Amino acid sequence: MSKIVLHLYIAGQTPRAERAISTLRRMIEQELAGHECELTIIDVLADPQQAENQKILATPTLIKSSPPPYRRVIGDLSSVTDLLNVLNLPPQS
Amino acid sequence: MIVIEARPRSTAEDHLRAVVSHDADGAIIVDHSGAVRFLNSAAERLLNRHGAELHGQIFGFPLVVGERAEVEVLRPDGEFAVAEMRVLSIVWEGQDALLITLRDVTFERQAEAALREAEAFSIAILNSLTSEIVVLDKQGKIVAVNEAWIQFGRENGITDLASISVGADYFAACAAAGPGTGGPEALQGLKAVLSGELAEFTYEYPCPGPQGMRWFALRAVPLRGSRQGLVVAHNDITDQRRAAQIAAEAEMLREQVRQMERELVSVEAISRPDEMVRSLTAPLRQRAPELFSQGLERYGALLEEALYSRVHRTPAPSRALRELGEWFGSIWAAPRDLIEVHLQAMRDRSQHNTPKKLQAYFEEGRLLLLELMGHLASYYRSMAAGELSFRDSE
Repeated sequence: MSKIVLHLYIAGQTPRAERAISTLRRMIEQELAGHECELTIIDVLADPQQAENQKILATPTLIKSSPPPYRRVIGDLSSVTDLLNVLNLPPQS
Repeated sequence: MIVIEARPRSTAEDHLRAVVSHDADGAIIVDHSGAVRFLNSAAERLLNRHGAELHGQIFGFPLVVGERAEVEVLRPDGEFAVAEMRVLSIVWEGQDALLITLRDVTFERQAEAALREAEAFSIAILNSLTSEIVVLDKQGKIVAVNEAWIQFGRENGITDLASISVGADYFAACAAAGPGTGGPEALQGLKAVLSGELAEFTYEYPCPGPQGMRWFALRAVPLRGSRQGLVVAHNDITDQRRAAQIAAEAEMLREQVRQMERELVSVEAISRPDEMVRSLTAPLRQRAPELFSQGLERYGALLEEALYSRVHRTPAPSRALRELGEWFGSIWAAPRDLIEVHLQAMRDRSQHNTPKKLQAYFEEGRLLLLELMGHLASYYRSMAAGELSFRDSE
């Protein structure tokens, strides 16, 4: 089973960003408990180059780079159900 | 999903393209992989990027819970704008697509943040004040309080802090306090300031607390600015009140003593030889410090006994007090010496006692001193009578 790799791009410690982080942590701990997950949080204010390299146009943006299919989600990341649906998670073995 | 296909496809799409092209809000059309298929000039301005640069690039799948979501739109220079994002399912170039509209709300959010900061600053100022502050609206409802006010509530055993916090009805609480509490009087004054009848209103009221009765001064002034209301400050003035009360008591005591002294001086003058009067004009504390200390000790013991009698309702030490009065007479003490002894006894007790106990010392001491003065006067009177009868017999 391949590792789930997630990258969350935020712009500073805004309530939006905190809500997104808390949703993702909840999703990983509860819905993806049986899977190996890696979540990296990138603050574009602290690391603008990485945002530019990834062509991030808005935050919060969540990228699922593994397992395929590649997914990029923008906006309100407060619903675990919506996120699982859009990200095609958990992966079907 | 909105399917704009009632007309021939090209016409419907042309129409949609015309609408979104001229939309004042940023519009981005993405396919289901999140890749950009179209963006209008407002979106180009918002993102500060050219449309050609973004065409085909993955913007992302937009997630909105409810009607809209807020996102930060990043610009190449590292700056960002805050935008309200809405999403609509459409058909674009024959394919299912998503129309993302981005409304720039940066200014509104900055204004809101500035307002929040200004409010936080105002609250910080209120919290820096040691007076208990309550801000009321024109209906008498609490719209702001400071920490000192909440702390005051806690210290006074108010468990339902909501009853003294924002939203509570201060006027109703004053009215409900009932006659004798000062509540109705305070309410009348507050309303007079609110109507402009008074420029400000001050009112002193008693408030029982864990450490005994305390006094507070309420001061109300109109709330300056566009909103009508009142700023009400409460200050603990128990210490000032106590000091004023002690000063008034002391003055009353002095007046009683002066009267007694006038009486005693004449009695004293005729009760002992002239040369003795001259030699004993110095205060007892100076001419006989040991006798002063001895008197102070006996007076202090009687004061403690009087306080014990007050608490346990036992008979007051009247015989011992008469003996002490006679003893003071025997050493030619003057009324001012008794006052000195009394004040020293009070000073000795002022350091390590609660205000309530000090008040009890003060009340008992005053009675004790007056009685002692009476005994001293009797002593000198009988001395004088003896001396007169002696002279008469001569």
